[in-house]
Amino acid sequence: MGLDQQVVAALPELGHGLLMTLLLTVLASLVSVVMGQLGCFLQLRRAWVWRTIGRLYVSLMRGTPAIVQLFVVFFTLPRLGLGGQPMLAAVIAIGLNSGAYVAEILRVNRSLVTRGQLEAARTLGLSRFLTWWYVINPQVMRASLPMLVNEFTILLKTTPLASVVALTELTYAGQIVIARTYEATQVLLLVAAGYLLIAMPLIAAARRLEAKRRLA
Amino acid sequence: MDWQAILTSLPSLGDGLVATLQLCFVAALCALLWGTVLAALLMRASPFWLRVLNLYSGLTLALPLLVVIYLLYFVLPEYDITLSSPVVGVLALTLYYAPYIAQVIRSAIEALPKGQWEACRVLGLSRSEQLRDVVLPQTLPQMLSPLVGLMIGLIKDSALLSIVSVQEFMYAAKQAISDTYAPLEIYLTVALCYWLLNSAIDWLARGLESRMTRYRRATQH
Repeated sequence: MGLDQQVVAALPELGHGLLMTLLLTVLASLVSVVMGQLGCFLQLRRAWVWRTIGRLYVSLMRGTPAIVQLFVVFFTLPRLGLGGQPMLAAVIAIGLNSGAYVAEILRVNRSLVTRGQLEAARTLGLSRFLTWWYVINPQVMRASLPMLVNEFTILLKTTPLASVVALTELTYAGQIVIARTYEATQVLLLVAAGYLLIAMPLIAAARRLEAKRRLA
Repeated sequence: MDWQAILTSLPSLGDGLVATLQLCFVAALCALLWGTVLAALLMRASPFWLRVLNLYSGLTLALPLLVVIYLLYFVLPEYDITLSSPVVGVLALTLYYAPYIAQVIRSAIEALPKGQWEACRVLGLSRSEQLRDVVLPQTLPQMLSPLVGLMIGLIKDSALLSIVSVQEFMYAAKQAISDTYAPLEIYLTVALCYWLLNSAIDWLARGLESRMTRYRRATQH
């Protein structure tokens, strides 16, 4: 089965879509890690207000479909004067969604840092921020790395949602090409191959990191 | 906030929610069934079939559900298999979630010490007695929490089916939006409903889990 001429002609378009998907994945992952850190930090605060906010964030993000979250962000942004930017909406929505899962990963691994270490840091006169930066975060991030890479694979799998707000990432680019060429099978298989191209290295990396962590 | 828009679209949203519940119920049953079959196959397949099954579960790990839905929706008709969109939806969710379910079932059963199987055989228990009296009482509580997590995932992912015009909750929401022009209000209402639904399921599962593991606490005293 050879590729249809029109589909071959559309390959650059799909390639551009792949790059957009990659960009969206990277940007959303950054938002996700920041939100995850924040969510984890809030949940572990002693004051109940912060703790409740942290828990509510995680619960809301995990309890509602990502596509609904994307629509809510997409229709909220114009009220803040940031309308008509599908990339911004997708990065925020997907980042916020994934951040809740990252917060849970970090929270689980946070227990690795023993009380003694925190007391030692305090005795040495480290401020709260410096304790987090030099003592807690390096250990938690290192332990979380395999699970985080796994989470980024899941994040990649939510990026096609951005097609519903007309962001020309891989899936939407595929739809546009299908509408023009009527070659649904060929184009969709190419789109699937594109996702495999990004996902396989991520999955392999997560496995290797996990194996390494078990040895350590 | 346009409260009037929310109020007027509540009845149609309610219908959509019911449709989502029905759809997810069927899809969850099918996925559990197919997942159980897969788990049984994974535990005794020949190396060749094991590879095929692993390729299948690898694909669900790597491919977005939306792409799988599109593949089923657009590719099957090219081979003269025309399914209605709810059927495509159930099929997509089943195929996508079954490998995850199989993984949960398999790891719970394989965590059981080998001696138990041997003991069953020594006692002359039949296969169904083994499962009913020995294996499931110990493995079900372990499977429950990850399985419920997957079911909540399935409910959330069913919202994607509105894209191929399955008439479920999100689809009803889109209809309501085209009637009222109040997207943010409607989507917030939808989000709230999904959240309440999933939180309720989560809460029920936790209660069930603590009931199922009561025997552990009882033996500790």
